[in-house]
Amino acid sequence: MSLSTALSIAQSALLNTQRQTTIVSRNISESANPDYSRRGTMLSTTGNGASVVDIRRSTSDVLIRQNMAALSAWSGQNTLLNGLNTLDMDVFGSNNANHPSRLLGNLQSALQTYSSSPSNTSVAENVVETARQLVNALNTGSDAIQNYRTSVDREIVSTVADLNTLLADFKVANDEVVGGSKLGRDVNDALDQRDAILKKITEIVPITAIKRGDNDLMLTTSSGITVFETVPRSVSFTATAGYAAGAPGNSIYVDGVPLASGSGANTTASGKLSALVQLREDVAGGLQAQLDEVARGLITAFAETDPSAVNPDLAGLFTWPGGPALPAAGTLEDGLARVISVNSAYDSSVGGNPHLLRDGGANGAAYVHNTSGGASYADLLLNYDTMIGTPIAFDPAAQISGTISLSAYSTESASWFSALRSDATRATDNKSALMMRTAEALSNVTGVNIDEEMSLLLDLEHSYQASAKLVQTVDNMLAALLAAVR
Amino acid sequence: MKTTFISSYSTNQSVRTHLMKMQAELIKVEREVVTGRVADAGVELGSRTGHSISLQRDVERLSTIIDSNALAASRLEATQLGLQSLADHAQKYLSIMTAAASGSVEASISMSEADTTITAVTGVLNSSMNGENLFAGVNTDVTPINGFGPGSAARTAMETAFVTHFGFAHTAPAAAAIDQAAMQNFLTTVIEPQFMGPDWTANWSNATDETITARITLTETTSGSVSANNEGMRRLMMSAAVVAVFMDGNLNANAGKAVLETAASQVGQSISALGQLQAQTGIVEQRITTASERLQMQIDIFEGKISDLEGVDAYEASTRVSTLLSQIETAYTLTSRIRQLSLVRYLP
Repeated sequence: MSLSTALSIAQSALLNTQRQTTIVSRNISESANPDYSRRGTMLSTTGNGASVVDIRRSTSDVLIRQNMAALSAWSGQNTLLNGLNTLDMDVFGSNNANHPSRLLGNLQSALQTYSSSPSNTSVAENVVETARQLVNALNTGSDAIQNYRTSVDREIVSTVADLNTLLADFKVANDEVVGGSKLGRDVNDALDQRDAILKKITEIVPITAIKRGDNDLMLTTSSGITVFETVPRSVSFTATAGYAAGAPGNSIYVDGVPLASGSGANTTASGKLSALVQLREDVAGGLQAQLDEVARGLITAFAETDPSAVNPDLAGLFTWPGGPALPAAGTLEDGLARVISVNSAYDSSVGGNPHLLRDGGANGAAYVHNTSGGASYADLLLNYDTMIGTPIAFDPAAQISGTISLSAYSTESASWFSALRSDATRATDNKSALMMRTAEALSNVTGVNIDEEMSLLLDLEHSYQASAKLVQTVDNMLAALLAAVR
Repeated sequence: MKTTFISSYSTNQSVRTHLMKMQAELIKVEREVVTGRVADAGVELGSRTGHSISLQRDVERLSTIIDSNALAASRLEATQLGLQSLADHAQKYLSIMTAAASGSVEASISMSEADTTITAVTGVLNSSMNGENLFAGVNTDVTPINGFGPGSAARTAMETAFVTHFGFAHTAPAAAAIDQAAMQNFLTTVIEPQFMGPDWTANWSNATDETITARITLTETTSGSVSANNEGMRRLMMSAAVVAVFMDGNLNANAGKAVLETAASQVGQSISALGQLQAQTGIVEQRITTASERLQMQIDIFEGKISDLEGVDAYEASTRVSTLLSQIETAYTLTSRIRQLSLVRYLP
């Protein structure tokens, strides 16, 4: 060993310390960046002392996979919940104030008042007015649902565009990683960037990442559709300009394969897109179908009958463009809630007579029940109330099936939707907690702890002081040696 | 070597997240304290929302029925008063007729009493409440009893029947020859059917036999009025009408006796029929009263259930508010303590 070797070791130690300090300072500066993975240095020993050979990025594939799955599930669930809340407000108003079941109750109360003083024209008008409010709620509710479906389509379009942009960005980052890895360059920054993009993609569609040679990533959806393989695959969607009840929207195609929609309140949808499709078809579609069935139930319950049972039942207080015939029994009539109306024969503002409700006969003399013309004839009015409570068959296509009364059906419908909202709220809480937890676990492994970096900095400072002292000492020894020679 | 167990980012982030969660919860509970009901009933009740809506709807309907029961009850009360006044008139008229039949009252007095009774009975039967004629059956927009003045359909029908039966008018001199049996026969076979048969509705009454049907509970209906076509009214009217018409003629004393006896017998039957009617009406009134009481009890039960479903225990909610407030304050304190807990502060 010679003094010059000692000097060169001390020199390389100074160099190492400087490089390590750079990394510590980078770590500290990125400590608040959730997408940054902490860098560490690997030292290895050589003949001339330790030298930095590798900069390691802390990472954990298992935690990343967990976090991605949780993120995706939360994003889907949250989208569903937001959609449900929007629909709730748009269609039923605050605290179900505009729900058809409540307005049906108002109509029943108005009928009761009318039946207790059937000769009173103003209470008859009041029945027609409450009927009009009910029809109005069905009409506007139906419109709100279809507008919502259109707005969901717009959101899908912009989300698909985001996804395509993200995939293009992913290609750039992935290319950088693969190219750098081949040449042995430091690709840590590109890896950080690629992981950050991957997280954003995961919020839109559920992703399984498959690692291949040279750090290359191939992405598929969890159902196995390829999203990225060297180059991004195309994601395409055509929006429907305006929706009508019962008309299904277009699918989202990933690499030519339609993306599955989620199902259930605790949705199976992972990622925003499946949840949006679920909202557009299952939820909004189901709600519309139920409003349509309520409309059909109303037309049926208030149908006019022929007291001599010769002529067929025809639409009474509530009618529709297909009237005066009644809609087919037990069959969903798409869009009926949009077109149901109060029969003009009862509407005094257009020359109708609300007392037809008491007497019958909106469809001609054969349908008159009050043949003696008594002004206090209440039997027909009481019968309407009975009809609202009489079970009829409802179409299972509207997601509530069975033979139940119109009044029970309307509250069942409220239960159906509130159950969805309630379950989705709980599921969102759970999934958000899981997402937070996995993000925290991942951050604990990959993130920066400033205290740790500061203590490392102290070590480095000491090491730097020691090396400097060493250089000085060797310098002194060499000086002493040279002085002896002189 | 990797020695990190916790990152600075997740330390700060978790404090932030929990704080936000608690603040959101605080807003929710505050609303519950103020309103006394759950903040979002749909989310809280889930599939039981329909149950709650149906209860609220029933409460509203039951209250409406209680209101309409009050209307029906007041109608029946007025009817009951009417019936009582009819019975009083009948009673008074009976005493006169009984006396007259025994010959102790002048014919003219009987006749004027008969006229008074007809006017009074017509007045009672034509009485109305809230614009509805009480005794008109369901035909409440039409006055039930037609007038009985000279030339009226009812009077003309009786006079014509006399002419058809005997061949001369009751004012004709020949009428004096009619004996008691013939007159009695005429009254029983010709005049009585005019009152008890379909001629009643043609000549006398515009009321319908059908009475107003009222729903007094969610499932129960009852007849809510009394028709002027009832037997009691018919017989009372007949009793007065025969005296008013036929005593004003040339009948001899015996035939007149037949008229007065018929009148007495008819008004007697009328009184018992009216009594029965009063009893029936009383039963319906009673039914309505108990129905309303039952409905009120149902409303109380339903409202209790609604508050079980949607209500919030104010004490628990305000406890939660204060717990949350102290939790949030603790979180603030902790945040600042954790912030200070940094190695940087201790380095020279």
